[in-house]
Amino acid sequence: MNLINEASPHFHGKGSTQWIMGMVCLSLLPTLVASVFLYGLGAPLLVLVCVATALVTEHVCCRLMNRESTAGDLSCVVTAMLFAFTLPADCGYFPAILGTVFAIAVVKMLFGGIGCNFANPAVAARVFIMIALPIALGAYPDVMGTPLDAITGATPLAMNAAGDAPYSYVDMMFGLHAGALGETCIITLLAGYVFLLAMRVVDAWATVPFIATVALITGFAGQDAIYQVLSGGLALGAFYMATDYTTTPMTPKGKIVFGIGCGVITALVRLFAAAPEGVAFSILFMNMFTPLIDRYTRPQPAGGVKHALV
Amino acid sequence: MFSLHKTRGGVHPPQCKDMRDFACMSITPPERVLIPLNMHIGAPASPVVGEGDHVYVGTLIGQVNGLGSPVHASISGTVVKVATEQLPTGATAPVVEIVSDGKMEADPALKPPTYSNKEEFIACVRDSGMVGLGGASFPTWFKMRAPEGKSFEFLVVNAMECEPYITSDYRQMMEHAERVIDGVFRTIEALEIPSAVIGVEDNKPEAILELKRVVKEKGREERIEVMEIPTKYPAGGEKVLIKATTGRDVPAGGLPIDAGCLVVNVTTISRVEQYFRYGTPLTCKTVTVTGDCVANPGNYRIPLGMSVRDVIEATGGMVKEPRKIIMGGPMMGRTITDIDCPILKANNAIVALHDAAVLPDETACIRCGRCVRACPLALEPFALDAASRGHDVVALDELAVMNCMECGSCAYVCPAHRRITASIREGKAVYRGEVARLTAPSEKKEA
Repeated sequence: MNLINEASPHFHGKGSTQWIMGMVCLSLLPTLVASVFLYGLGAPLLVLVCVATALVTEHVCCRLMNRESTAGDLSCVVTAMLFAFTLPADCGYFPAILGTVFAIAVVKMLFGGIGCNFANPAVAARVFIMIALPIALGAYPDVMGTPLDAITGATPLAMNAAGDAPYSYVDMMFGLHAGALGETCIITLLAGYVFLLAMRVVDAWATVPFIATVALITGFAGQDAIYQVLSGGLALGAFYMATDYTTTPMTPKGKIVFGIGCGVITALVRLFAAAPEGVAFSILFMNMFTPLIDRYTRPQPAGGVKHALV
Repeated sequence: MFSLHKTRGGVHPPQCKDMRDFACMSITPPERVLIPLNMHIGAPASPVVGEGDHVYVGTLIGQVNGLGSPVHASISGTVVKVATEQLPTGATAPVVEIVSDGKMEADPALKPPTYSNKEEFIACVRDSGMVGLGGASFPTWFKMRAPEGKSFEFLVVNAMECEPYITSDYRQMMEHAERVIDGVFRTIEALEIPSAVIGVEDNKPEAILELKRVVKEKGREERIEVMEIPTKYPAGGEKVLIKATTGRDVPAGGLPIDAGCLVVNVTTISRVEQYFRYGTPLTCKTVTVTGDCVANPGNYRIPLGMSVRDVIEATGGMVKEPRKIIMGGPMMGRTITDIDCPILKANNAIVALHDAAVLPDETACIRCGRCVRACPLALEPFALDAASRGHDVVALDELAVMNCMECGSCAYVCPAHRRITASIREGKAVYRGEVARLTAPSEKKEA
């Protein structure tokens, strides 16, 4: 009789990394569908290109690093979808592919792969493209045009900065304005986020303070707080990027600090900086603080700690 | 008297307690038993019988040495071997092997003990050979001695049985509720403890009703309370149970006495009472034999030292070849690789698995935080895992590695299936080694 010798516990729960990442992908699908209606068939095609690029990049990187491929855990698919969601639907395949390769190869794999990246790969790639190829992100297609012949329009935040706010809250909720392909339709993003909350994949400890802080600061600064909350990448960022496991703090207390930090930076950028949008910067910035926040918000062990080494 | 306090973390593994309604059964006694004399925490007992001696059930075969417990013969027959040898578990220990005469005669010299004060009571408990039967195997008499300047405010009876599969404590409560309550009362009387609380998980409503009925019938409501505690693994962990019943935390590196508690398993209490009534020391254990490989799963009364092979044969054999045999429950039990391992005092289950035996492979930590939420002691298992694998003793110190009770909740919830508990166990060994290395030279200097 050949018996397995193994340390306890001998029961493991049913969850897996793949299941978690699959749930996140599933929750992004409504927004993907909405993007077809808003920006045409080019939108899902762009997402598909990013996903394929991510899978290939991760697989190749793993092979180069002499590791078993982790492409199957679907985390690179989440990264690719989130990155694609921040792009204008008509930005072309070059920035999409370049950004995805940067996200997976540089931000994720070079630092050790899943669980080891210091920053959210999708956010870092978005910022990278913003700086490296500013023209690609300079203009956003408007939903007013026909899908295949989109007219370029100013985003609500750009217009807001210019002094006018032409969209109703309802338009903003349904994404009926110029913007990145997966950022504008708040209603589907919210539905996906609520689904993830219900599946206990994510929590609201960072999301709520993030949004509330943006609303509070912009509101006090005399802006229309609701308009601010509904515009730009705030929903996508607060729902999907401030809830990333690897690059945000571990404990509720830490997550609140993280959320507030993101909110403050986003609001300050929107109010005072030359750039109209600050969500990506704020998340990237707060990612850097995650280890520090984790260190100072460590749970107090029950019964205290008895240090034997000093 | 007592009110339920909130406890942190915990998980909900499948309970698999299908054997709960199976009354405890006796099995055909084995032809031979191999009794290790180190079935407890502390020093092994020293053999007091020689080869060729005749022993009865209950005859003393190993005398206690300091912190430890005496060991008694579990079958009647002839001692054929007294030696120190390697057990099938791999450990080396003094053992006594007895070949049965087939009679299972009780030692005629056994009679109910008498005591007149606390010290004599504790000495009786020591002579009964009783150790923590919930799995810890800490000598019961030893923890009943409150150190100078400290006293017990509560007796906390652990009747939680939160491990999946195991139902032996449940059967003890259902079949011997009256003995349990008498044992609790005797203990608090003898040790001058003001009150006792019996914590039972609410997945055992019949046991709760039965214990409450007996407490009422005997008019012990003033001193003994039966508390229903929400089912959540590891609610039966000593520190977690103390928190739930008294609201107190056991300080790091401390013992239950530091929170004013004496914690005793429900079957231990029941068997202590049995000893005081009939003079029968601990010679057999109720063991839940189960798992998808066992032909006739159930609760069986098994003489100590009987091999797992004999137990499985006596209960009707296997229907499938097991891939894994666990002594104890699946959350904290140990696997055995040799089926000739003897049943020890602390064993309360044999789980033979085929289907659920192979666990998924480990992948990288994604920092999801599930382990932190699951930890009942508010530790950071993911960080302890990393520090343990890296032998980073300073980080292990900061993260309070020694607080960990190895309940397995973190590894259970981990979506990356990391063997967090196993690695922390290793980290503890590394840490202990480092502390010993640092303290050893300074002690020499003092000397």
